Amino acid sequence: MNRDLERLGPAAAAFALAAAITVLFNTSLACAKDAYQPLNRFMGSLAGHNWTTQGLSDMILFFGLGLTFVKAGWAGKIDPQHLISLLVAAVVVAGAGLVVWYVLV
Amino acid sequence: MIGTFFVRVTLSDVILLGHAAFGILGTLSALWVFVEALNAREENASRIRRGAMAVTISMCAACLLGGYWYVTSYPAEKAIILEGPWPAAHNVFMETKEHLFFSTLILAIYLPIAAADKVYANAIVRKMVLCVSLLIVFTGLAIEGAGAVINHGVKIALLRAHLKEAHVKGK
Repeated sequence: MNRDLERLGPAAAAFALAAAITVLFNTSLACAKDAYQPLNRFMGSLAGHNWTTQGLSDMILFFGLGLTFVKAGWAGKIDPQHLISLLVAAVVVAGAGLVVWYVLV
Repeated sequence: MIGTFFVRVTLSDVILLGHAAFGILGTLSALWVFVEALNAREENASRIRRGAMAVTISMCAACLLGGYWYVTSYPAEKAIILEGPWPAAHNVFMETKEHLFFSTLILAIYLPIAAADKVYANAIVRKMVLCVSLLIVFTGLAIEGAGAVINHGVKIALLRAHLKEAHVKGK
């Protein structure tokens, strides 16, 4: 198979990296606002509910990073196999992190 | 009888059930994309893209309906759960579900971007679509399961309160 064909498109690579970063950010923010109530209240004051603010932050970060990476072309230089592994690992770690946090805290 | 049934269904019920229904539709659509991508050919390329869009639309609808219900109607149920015998239904299951959902949503939005390339001609694109759709299936099922536990948390709390009340009246 042609080596060029075994790459992700610029948008697919960029938004994969953005998705990996955003899911980790989402879990970190969930733990941070749970541990630090002033942050929780501040987020609540921004959009009426802390959960809404978190969702909006995630979306802004995902699309912001995705578009930035498309423009910069960084993600396209990463080995696509590594990009897939990174995304899968990020989702697994983020999910497990949420479960562990809410079970223990 | 039918009239009585519909009169008793509140808007909050419709929103909550719509949220769960769209969540299931999104999860099933992701499974559909996974199976199509396993057998990726030029002939089913448009089906993969349509399936990926169905995942995005369903998950966005599940998010909007669930989010609205969570912000407006859930606080009352939360109070019931926390007074009942299964407080973990909120403290662990709801807390995890409401935040894990964002990962599923982001993956659902990403899926059509990944599937926009030629899945049948490019092994790495196919692998990405397979991984992302499978992650959506697993997280979607986990979220649906958590929803069932939360629902049960409310049910047994109400049941216990009702039994207590009946016991007091019986005395």
